[in-house]
Amino acid sequence: MDALLTKTEIKDPQPVKKQVTGAEALLQCLVEEHVRTIFGYPGGAIMPVYDALYHYADKLDHILVRHEQGAIHAAQGFARASGKTGVVFATSGPGATNLITGLADALIDSTPLVCITGQVFAHLLGTDAFQETDVVNTTIPVTKWNIQVAEAKDIPAAIAKAFYIARTGRPGPVLIDITKNAQNEKIEAFEYQPCHSIKTYRPKPQLNLDQIREAAAIIHTARKPYLLAGQGVILSGATQELIAFSEKTGIPVASTLLGLGAFPTDHPNYAGYLGMHGNYAPNLLTNECDVLIAVGMRFDDRVTGNVSKYARQARIIHIDIDKAEINKIIKVEAYVHADAKEALLALTEQCASGSFPEWISEFSRLNTLEYDKVIHKEFHGDGELRMAEVIHRLSGITDGRAIVVTDVGQHQMITSRYLKLRDPRTHITSGGAGTMGFALPAAMGAALAVPERQVVAVIGDGGYQMTIQELGTIMQYKIPVKILVLNNNFLGMVRQWQQLFHGKRYSFTEMQNPDFIKLASAYGIAAKKVTQREELQPALEEFLSSTTSYFLEVVVGREDNVFPMVPAGAGVSEVLLEAPQS
Amino acid sequence: MRFCWRLPNPEKIYLHMKEEFTLEIQAENNFSVLNRIINILNRRRVRIKRMMAHENEQDFKRGGVIMLLFTTPDMMDRVTDQLEKLIEVDLVKYQKGNNRYYELSEEIADIS
Repeated sequence: MDALLTKTEIKDPQPVKKQVTGAEALLQCLVEEHVRTIFGYPGGAIMPVYDALYHYADKLDHILVRHEQGAIHAAQGFARASGKTGVVFATSGPGATNLITGLADALIDSTPLVCITGQVFAHLLGTDAFQETDVVNTTIPVTKWNIQVAEAKDIPAAIAKAFYIARTGRPGPVLIDITKNAQNEKIEAFEYQPCHSIKTYRPKPQLNLDQIREAAAIIHTARKPYLLAGQGVILSGATQELIAFSEKTGIPVASTLLGLGAFPTDHPNYAGYLGMHGNYAPNLLTNECDVLIAVGMRFDDRVTGNVSKYARQARIIHIDIDKAEINKIIKVEAYVHADAKEALLALTEQCASGSFPEWISEFSRLNTLEYDKVIHKEFHGDGELRMAEVIHRLSGITDGRAIVVTDVGQHQMITSRYLKLRDPRTHITSGGAGTMGFALPAAMGAALAVPERQVVAVIGDGGYQMTIQELGTIMQYKIPVKILVLNNNFLGMVRQWQQLFHGKRYSFTEMQNPDFIKLASAYGIAAKKVTQREELQPALEEFLSSTTSYFLEVVVGREDNVFPMVPAGAGVSEVLLEAPQS
Repeated sequence: MRFCWRLPNPEKIYLHMKEEFTLEIQAENNFSVLNRIINILNRRRVRIKRMMAHENEQDFKRGGVIMLLFTTPDMMDRVTDQLEKLIEVDLVKYQKGNNRYYELSEEIADIS
């Protein structure tokens, strides 16, 4: 034996490197990116990931939705409420194509998402295999970036790049399509390397002080300056900087739909909500200001109305992180290509203190006119319940402390007008895409992202039924979302347009609805219906004091309209306070 | 007028008259980059008269595309801004006329 041992050199066995599957690598990367919550729906092409997920229950919370559209809207709500990146899993083919609406919505509303879709085996690509869809090409127009990964070794780098792209610069949705073989293949255990830069991608422009000085010089000439705040203020976390700028310069601030919450609605310099159904003064005075400062907004057509009649008298300054937005719709005199927070800080330093009492009093005068012509009637009616009084009362109880998620339509515009907001990320809605069905799943996501805040979904009876299946998710995970449906048995906004501009021909807008109370009860959700004015306040108080999910249906006037209104093709100064006589 | 955001200033009417432009783009040579570029032009209804795409001879991970476009100066500025936003795109530049297009396309053809 000894002889043998001396002849044979015994070496330490080579340490066997630990191996992981592509699916495990993916989940490890998500944990490294501090992801905790994933919204998804399994299927054949993503089964290896779901199998690996089984062993990650202590690190990742997966929310099984009832439809992939619900998953992506929930991830949007999660991202918008928290500022984190939302994560979605879906399978190939229809699973992936069901994400399209949410991707489009997230792209136009600058919401950071990372969507992971399963794909058929690499050798089957292009063969019309079962549940094979060319997801990468299909999603090009609705993603900030996308990629297909066909080898496990490429997964960590793709995930790192995806998170970096999704959250930096102007945020947006990213999609990674992973073939099934890549999910199954084994790779050596690795150390995750987060991505901090991409050679061809410059997400944050350097602040140019010459641009700041040029903007400040224009502001110094102003007698009637006016600032429009968009979602860019919220995304860059510039609320305090905006307040400081407004307070120092005395410039009134109006908000776009997605900018709501960027500036407190009870601040004396708050001018109101802009847009087709925005407040009267902020729309009208856009065409009377002499200097218009647009911060983190993109001059959406719902804000500008007819662009050829928009603020022609004003010297316009545009501050935006996205260079492609500058001069895209409205030609400006000066711009600052920068992050809103940095730009506002620098601009506050450059600008002198000021106050514009006469100009501010113009807003007050027009606000009084709007109150007399519109608001007073909405709050003090004695007939059918009006949407405005429901939201006014809701706002009175929540007092700007809740996160309110709205769907799309009349109730959305009413909520934008009457909801009191104190903080950013407390008003979430589908803006650019106008996606009906957004609110219910987005509210689920918001409630999971910020459990310490109450989350209220305000929805119309049409949009509610577009993603109503998510009541199952709310039931299963006991998500304490409060669901307020304003039921007029119509697709109300389309009906309003049919009434005002199409000779009252209500073409396919009337809805025969199910018994929503029974439906909510079937999902184990407490529910109540309000039809009378005197029932409203106690019902809302019960609704908001509930610690669990709660469904409240309020039957409102069938032909309640939203005013003010800038008719299609009209300029913002042609805003109507009531229906035209003709 | 279709893409005009205001009534055109008569002195700047040239901004709204279509002409030929040569567009040069350099990018990472990833799948789908070309589709993203084309999508931006398609969405804006920019007419592509000629196009040549290529891998870089020295480094196949990088590539480029040259296009002969027919559109307005104003639209060229806008699509250039949008093209520069694409993650993989490194450089976008354009100039009036088609001379540069034919020069570049001959160079690329010679190499290949």
